[in-house]
Amino acid sequence: MASIDLDKMLAKIKSTQWALSDIDWDAPGAELITEEQWPKLKDFMADLMWIEHVGARAFAAMAKKAPTDTLREIYTYFHAEEQRHANAEMALMKRWGMLEGDEIPEPNINLRLVIEWLDRYSDEMPVYVLGTVVPMLEIALDGALCTFLLETVKDPVCHQAFEKINDDESRHLGVGFSVMEMQGRGKTFIGATKMLAPLLDPRLMLGIASYVPLLNKMRDNIITMGLPEERLYAAMAKFEKIGGRTEDGRRNPWFQVIRQHAKFVVDRNNRAYHMPVDGMVKLTGLIPRRALPAVPSWVKELTYQPTA
Amino acid sequence: MTTSSASPKKTARKTAPRKRSASAKRTAAKKSPAVKPVSVLIVGAGFAGLGMAIRLKQAGIEDFAILERSNAVGGTWRDNQYPGAACDIPSNLYSYSFAPNPNWSRSFSGSEEILGYIHHLVAEFKLESHIRFQKNVEDLSFDEKKGVWTATTDKGEKFAGRAAVMAQGPLSNCSFPAITGIEDFKGHKIHSARWDHDYDFAGKKVAVIGTGASGIQIIPELVKQAKHLKVFQRTPGWVMPRPDFATPQWNKKLFEKLPASQQAMRNLLYWTHESMALAVIWNSPLTRVAERVARLHLRRQVKDRWLRRQLTPDFTIGCKRVLVSNDYYPALQKDNAKLITWPIARLSEKGIRTVEGIEHQVDCIVFATGFDVSHSGTPFPVKGRKGRVLGDEWQGGAQAYKSINVSGYPNLYMTFGPNSGPGHNSALVYMESQLDYAVKGVQKILQEDLKVLDVKEDVQRKHNKTMQKRLAKTNWNSGCKSWYLTEDGFNATMYPGFATQYAAQMADFEENDYETA
Ligand SMILES: Cc1cc2nc3c(=O)[nH]c(=O)nc-3n(C[C@H](O)[C@H](O)[C@H](O)COP(=O)(O)OP(=O)(O)OC[C@H]3O[C@@H](n4cnc5c(N)ncnc54)[C@H](O)[C@@H]3O)c2cc1C
Ligand SMILES: [Fe+2]
Ligand SMILES: [Fe+2]
Repeated sequence: MASIDLDKMLAKIKSTQWALSDIDWDAPGAELITEEQWPKLKDFMADLMWIEHVGARAFAAMAKKAPTDTLREIYTYFHAEEQRHANAEMALMKRWGMLEGDEIPEPNINLRLVIEWLDRYSDEMPVYVLGTVVPMLEIALDGALCTFLLETVKDPVCHQAFEKINDDESRHLGVGFSVMEMQGRGKTFIGATKMLAPLLDPRLMLGIASYVPLLNKMRDNIITMGLPEERLYAAMAKFEKIGGRTEDGRRNPWFQVIRQHAKFVVDRNNRAYHMPVDGMVKLTGLIPRRALPAVPSWVKELTYQPTA
Repeated sequence: MTTSSASPKKTARKTAPRKRSASAKRTAAKKSPAVKPVSVLIVGAGFAGLGMAIRLKQAGIEDFAILERSNAVGGTWRDNQYPGAACDIPSNLYSYSFAPNPNWSRSFSGSEEILGYIHHLVAEFKLESHIRFQKNVEDLSFDEKKGVWTATTDKGEKFAGRAAVMAQGPLSNCSFPAITGIEDFKGHKIHSARWDHDYDFAGKKVAVIGTGASGIQIIPELVKQAKHLKVFQRTPGWVMPRPDFATPQWNKKLFEKLPASQQAMRNLLYWTHESMALAVIWNSPLTRVAERVARLHLRRQVKDRWLRRQLTPDFTIGCKRVLVSNDYYPALQKDNAKLITWPIARLSEKGIRTVEGIEHQVDCIVFATGFDVSHSGTPFPVKGRKGRVLGDEWQGGAQAYKSINVSGYPNLYMTFGPNSGPGHNSALVYMESQLDYAVKGVQKILQEDLKVLDVKEDVQRKHNKTMQKRLAKTNWNSGCKSWYLTEDGFNATMYPGFATQYAAQMADFEENDYETA
């Protein structure tokens, strides 16, 4: 598959905008959430909206480092669109009575670490690091979490919202994979050794240290919710398949790293990986809240209210 | 959809009244079959047109007329009366050296005071009788046989002159930007350059779109008046601290009693700004220093890391107009203010929808979105020798000789012509050398009774080759989009050098460069 025309993509993005007020958040259907579903759904939605929000921040960092004006603008839009997803998911939570007053769901400790890392270091990361991690997360969201959610939840408003969200996501994925291929265009783009160099950067190591336990924790939350593990395998297989569909894509060393890592995450039998990581999850659980700095102000931009 | 347009659009849609009465046109044409030409016909009564008039008078040429579409003089400073409007070049430099004003109240005077100065120029140099108000020029054509330019207004009136000066201003036309849904918005709309003085902001929710030179002046004032102010930014600019202070009384007295001291001040300011060229025009070590100064200014005034990030530009300083302000950053942090950097998706009935999915509802939108700048056309048709049309020739970008003459369009002078824009110094400094150059040309036409004084084509071509070569090395051509460039990145706006170099370029009127008849 040839790489997409990014200028056309940008025009498409601009012409397919939607707003929270396009959806009637008070329409009937909220009662279709069962009592048994409710508490698990609440945790799941909180995780989901935080992933969107964290993804938003990652796009903001990518916009700073984008190699072309078009890509910069695309990422600027994606930053805002991910925020829109988080906002819309909060609006669903509000609809389902999962938010207390105007409260943003409390981020768990692993999230706090990731937020902290994004706030401090993400802007300094080369675009190809986040440029590979983000499509992997997106495909997990798109391919596993969202489909699963829609199968489980009968509320039509939820379906309406996710139809719009998924439309956006298909464009995010299109751009994401296309950029990964651009980056794999070895000689013309950037050398593999140079691309992997940041792996030795302590700032990135910190990032990995905060991100890895987050993934494990979320995987567990999802499985509690009833998501069959196979779904995650399927999503990872999709990432491998699309990311590696061309020579260029496979040549991108970050694709190889992330692909391998994703496999570890979903494979709960890989004890060599999960023993230490689960240890880290436990460890991070011991970090007292007070030890963390105040949440950065970009987090406070979240809102479930369609108008301001 | 074309989204938020925070910078001037590259179309040239005029906001001037365009109604034309067919009968008026016919009678005008019938009554005046041959209009008696004045020596010099000037279009526009802003700084440039009035300055031209003064220099002509001082050279002993009294036979000129100024056509002004509005009913008042002042141009930029008549139109830009938004709260906070002021010059961002110190007044002692942003004024004419041949008409110094010892009484500037501040280092950077406000719009009203500058307009006062312009009115003072009109009175002092007795220009009023030369100005024809409400003459909106819609066509300028040259008759080679007679050696006469004829201006036709929207009402069909005709005015003729042996020489013509186009001083209609580079930033005099504006319109609301083409944001999707702009016609759906039911609230109040104001353009910064057409301020609505009757609108009361008290208790209102207000949005400002655009954070360029005008936006950053309006915002600190509106935040004091409005109940709530949302500022929509597309690209942040570099903001330098502004050393603004009131002029002490003794200082005004000194300037009045000892004009040489004011000249000395002007010289000091001039050289300070000249040295800024090193930072602003070319990418030099000083560019980094200037960026550092701006970053420190930001860091000192904004404590929140994310807000600072939102306000940090990602282009080389000088690539776009450098902003100066001490109160812009603090204004954004007032309790009733908020900076919004999400892209604008569209306007709706009640406000502005941004891409994060939220509709920001407001009572009034202020568009500080700049001006309609034409890089590749002319604001009205200009027809030269043998039916040439200037707008057609400029399709790929405007070109002139020394910014002031165009081959094929004899006896025509333009102020603020192609590649005359200052990035670092007062526009009036540049203007003064243009005016004096034009006076020399006019004198030659009158003294030698020429019908045609036309710059040679190859001379103009050579000039532009060097110009574009020099421009390629500047910050403006370093990759950011700005109103200085055409869509294709051609720079027809800025002069790539010091004001001193520009003055030197304009100092001699080289007769050999011209063809005469
Ligand atoms: C808000 C703002 C701040 C600025 N601050 C500075 C600064 O600090 N320093 C600086 O150097 N420059 C500054 N400038 C640039 C400024 O435009 C010039 O310095 C200068 O005022 C331009 O003068 P002008 O006479 O060429 O044009 P204008 O002042 O625009 O005058 C042109 C006149 O021509 C008339 N006109 C236009 N079209 C027609 C027509 N078809 N027929 C008849 N009449 C017509 C207009 O009505 C107007 O009166 C600023 C500009 C703006 C908008
Ligand atoms: Fe998303
Ligand atoms: Fe996404």
